[in-house]
Amino acid sequence: MKKKVIGLVDGQSGNIGSINKAIKEIIKGRPYQLKIIRGEFDYSLFNKIILPGQGAYATLISNLKKLKIYKPLKTYLDNNCSYLGICVGMQILSDQGHEDRTTKGLGIIAGEIKKFKSKNLIIPHMGWNSISLNKEDPIVTNNLDNKDFYFVHSYIFQNINKSNVLANTHYGKKFPSIVKKGNIYGVQFHPEKSHKYGLNLIKNYILKS
Amino acid sequence: MLKTRIIPCLDVIKNKVVKGVNFKNIKVMGNAVEMARYYSLSGADELCMLDINASYQNRKTFIKTVEAIAKVINIPLTVGGGVSVLDDITDLLNAGADKVSINSAAVKNPRLIRQASLKHGSQCIVVAIDGKRHENKMKVVVKGGREITKKELILWAKQVQSLGAGEILMTSMDTDGVQNGFDSSMLKKITSNVSIPVIASGGVGNLEHFYLGHLTKSTGLLAASVFHSGKYKIQSVKKYLKNKGVPVRL
Repeated sequence: MKKKVIGLVDGQSGNIGSINKAIKEIIKGRPYQLKIIRGEFDYSLFNKIILPGQGAYATLISNLKKLKIYKPLKTYLDNNCSYLGICVGMQILSDQGHEDRTTKGLGIIAGEIKKFKSKNLIIPHMGWNSISLNKEDPIVTNNLDNKDFYFVHSYIFQNINKSNVLANTHYGKKFPSIVKKGNIYGVQFHPEKSHKYGLNLIKNYILKS
Repeated sequence: MLKTRIIPCLDVIKNKVVKGVNFKNIKVMGNAVEMARYYSLSGADELCMLDINASYQNRKTFIKTVEAIAKVINIPLTVGGGVSVLDDITDLLNAGADKVSINSAAVKNPRLIRQASLKHGSQCIVVAIDGKRHENKMKVVVKGGREITKKELILWAKQVQSLGAGEILMTSMDTDGVQNGFDSSMLKKITSNVSIPVIASGGVGNLEHFYLGHLTKSTGLLAASVFHSGKYKIQSVKKYLKNKGVPVRL
């Protein structure tokens, strides 16, 4: 049987050690292989792509362009191929981000990334917070509703179509913590840092979605 | 709702967790990797580890320990101690740290905070501040409290925030090691003057101290001895806090 290929993008935006380790644990003994994407790639060779990100929106977009990852990734996503974006890897699915400067995003899920605006709110939103699901989905099976995940961010997905919001989290106000369109997912939190429920989510994405 | 974080802190020399005041009567508490694994499994929300004897000879082993710990835990890891230049931060992040804490190097050279946060993002730059009362003023101290600097504590906290720190790890040298509780008045001064997260450190001796720490609006509560000695399990602290109405991850 041909192995399914999972691509893990190293966009030089935070280290990929934890997510790399999590994926390896999950696919051990299963018909999958993991390839790290560090430059231009043939998108047709991948069954799934995971992109973790930390830091600024503009930096990640410019890194992806510099590394020649942006174009094949955009084509991959335009074809509704399976993707999981983590933190900034989720945010860049939007039309644009407003961190540091306004930057055009991948334009896959309509909306924009803006700073938390609420008086007396401690920013960044850092620590464990729960998600509440709007609907069932393969990625959140095994009772992930109301479980805690680790967040660290100052910007959130705004002006997003409700149908693309799979789960919300409350911090000052409600914001999207899991987004989905077709086969494309994004999570605002860090599942690779979120202990067993985080691993469950990554496992669900790889094996069930 | 955002949960209050319970953070065990490992003071490390090479690959051993130690306890000791100012390098005197150093006592080995255990193997750092084993203890980190245990805390991650038993419900710690985050882990902090500090190289408390960051000499050239010990550093390589310490970095290897960071790498080994990053491999066995799946919660966030903050690493500090011995960070003096930008490359030290890069090295620790590459070794698997999620956040790096800077202390005296930031006092000496505040621009390091800006450079580090621009390069790696604010979210991974923690500034550790040691505070102490001196002549009726709260001052920043370095070298484990032995050297009092000219910096006013509150002004420094505001400054590190504006320079791009993502979080403050606030230790009161007036309460550290005494186990009589966090320095509530110092912590409240800090949390009411900054809008970034503050981790309270120094002084936990019993369960109520955790609750009082939470009341200072610190979103992370750090402790070492009460966990290493086995006096409290992470989960028993969290259950106690939950009964008090504090949001925690159970």
